[in-house]
Amino acid sequence: MSSSSTPDLPVLQVEQVGFSYADQAVLSSIDLQVPAGRIVGLVGPNGAGKSTLIRLVCGRLDPDRGRIVLGPDGAARSHATVGLVPQHIALYPHLSVMENIAFFTRMAGTPSRQVQSATESVLARCDLEAVAHRRVGHLSGGWQRRVNIACGLGHGPKLLVLDEPTVGIDPPACDEIEQLLQRLAGEGMGLLITSHDLDQLERIADTLAFLAEGRVVATGSPRALLEEFFGRRRECRVRLQADAASELIDRLEANGFERDRTDRGLLRALLEQDRAEHLQAELADQDTLREFAVRRPGLEALWRRLYGDSPERHV
Amino acid sequence: MIRAVARVMWLGLLRDRGALMLAFVLPPLLFFVFAEVFSAAADEDLALRVALEDRVDTALSRDILGHLEALEGLIAQRADGNAADRVRSGEFDAAIVIRDQPSAEFDRPPLLVIGDASRSLAAAVVAGRVQRLLQTEFPALEAGRSIALVEALAGPYTAAQSAALNAALAAMRESAAAEEAQVDGNQGFIEQQLLAPAAGVDAGVSYYAGAVAILFLLFSAFQGAISLIDERNSGILDRLVAGPGRTHPLVLGKGLFLTFQGLAQASLIFLLAWWIYGLDWTSRFGPWLLTTLLAASVAAWLGLLLASLCSTRQQAQTASAFVVLILSAVGGSMMPRFLMPGWLREAGWLTPNAWAIESWQDIFWRQAGVADLAAGWLVLAGIALVAMLASLALTARMTLEK
Repeated sequence: MSSSSTPDLPVLQVEQVGFSYADQAVLSSIDLQVPAGRIVGLVGPNGAGKSTLIRLVCGRLDPDRGRIVLGPDGAARSHATVGLVPQHIALYPHLSVMENIAFFTRMAGTPSRQVQSATESVLARCDLEAVAHRRVGHLSGGWQRRVNIACGLGHGPKLLVLDEPTVGIDPPACDEIEQLLQRLAGEGMGLLITSHDLDQLERIADTLAFLAEGRVVATGSPRALLEEFFGRRRECRVRLQADAASELIDRLEANGFERDRTDRGLLRALLEQDRAEHLQAELADQDTLREFAVRRPGLEALWRRLYGDSPERHV
Repeated sequence: MIRAVARVMWLGLLRDRGALMLAFVLPPLLFFVFAEVFSAAADEDLALRVALEDRVDTALSRDILGHLEALEGLIAQRADGNAADRVRSGEFDAAIVIRDQPSAEFDRPPLLVIGDASRSLAAAVVAGRVQRLLQTEFPALEAGRSIALVEALAGPYTAAQSAALNAALAAMRESAAAEEAQVDGNQGFIEQQLLAPAAGVDAGVSYYAGAVAILFLLFSAFQGAISLIDERNSGILDRLVAGPGRTHPLVLGKGLFLTFQGLAQASLIFLLAWWIYGLDWTSRFGPWLLTTLLAASVAAWLGLLLASLCSTRQQAQTASAFVVLILSAVGGSMMPRFLMPGWLREAGWLTPNAWAIESWQDIFWRQAGVADLAAGWLVLAGIALVAMLASLALTARMTLEK
């Protein structure tokens, strides 16, 4: 089974989709597109509507308004084109890796005679041949995560929806999964990922969609979003000793620094690059200043800008 | 510290409705069922269904039948000509046949109580009640028999003696104290006859093979069906819904497996009954197979229905213990239903246990044909079908609306 699609043709189009639970609007006029061969990250705090949007895409819910088109031809909504990788390890621990992949491949409607070859293909694409005959329950968390992804691939979906695909695993295993996801995109598959790991999304996503209160409040590539929101401004982080003079704090606040809500020894500000470097040089001789870092703002800064809070509070 | 632990345990119990039900509702409920059964079996509340047959049709026999029809503790119904057949078919617990005119002299006991060997207790209870009825309502019968015996041994009575005896017998008929005067006097009027099965199998074996089989079919199917909850909570059902497979094949596959698992379990029990106790399994294999497949299917689909209604494994385990124990107690898996009071016996027909046990009894004990078994098969198939459709719909709905 092949998942190859013509690059940039959309494998998912969400057009003006709205959805309400009872009288409470959860999603309003959502527009989103996942092209073939691209990774799209869905970002937002809890309650923003990510899970509902994924349920709509996967067919567990029907939109109240708008439409969801799966597949590049834009014709019928066909679930044969979608694979889901749930946040939990949705596998049978008493079955081997191969048996799990074969089961989900068959359950996705693959004819019996094609299951074996499709399973072997998935094992190879996901580098799982070495553990093919080991029971899933005996594997480490990182391997289980990889098998969790593999089980969504057997029927050759054109769109793979991943809900927090690397949650709870160590950085090396996380890197391997990122490489796997990039390979899958390279094969022409469209990937829609929800994650709270903003660094990971910055590394692998082609496009990000930030959701807030059921709306897409920002969308674009990570670079374009950072450029759009921050331009030449830089993120300044100042860490003070506990006995820092109030004059120093007043001076920082006068320059636009604000105390972090949870870490009171930390102050942040977004300043133009020249001004940031100038201030950094001015305060270099302050004894109670433990750190003055200037860096390009990342997605974490964008998150704080959009949601007014630290992303760690939403993991 | 010990108090803190006890408090946590208490709060755990208090906030777990299932555990509360299991701890405080199920025990009194089961006690109630058993108390109803055994208090009924110990006194007049044990209502037995009795067929009445009068082969002599005299004023006395009609009088006795009239008293039997009015007798508390018997649900009596006329069944002239085929009382024994209707006992064999299970329609009645026992039959009372007046085969000769009750009189002072007889070659054989004029009253015959026919029971099924699988319910021998019912025949004994009926015989006891008839005996007491004769003592209280027809005391002259026994006395007349003694008078005739003395006359045969010592020569004829004089006219004066005969007149005095007749007056005494008339007075006995009127006497309200007759009951105390008669102790076990009428045993000779009644003969008990137990109907043996066609294949000579032990009644207890054929009954309890079925009773135990359906109990464990339910237990194991309910336990196996709980995996559906794990699959829903782990995201496996989400994965299936997202693709083209949907949830129906998964639920149907589970139903199929649990049905054949149940068939294998029941086979082991009946195999043992055949091998060790001589149950006529092989010659009645076809009807047994269909009955067992249907019973296993009912257990499988009821288990899956329960699993589709529960949201956690713990909830399902509690509910399944509750449901299986109640179905089994009321349905006759723990004690024969003929021992139950009438309302509980009728309630038993609402359980699959009663239908499965009766079908197996029909096959092995009564050697029933397909026509007699069809009703039970239809009911079992109907329960399985309804439970299957409900569990398919509920699983799909819960997965789609979670």
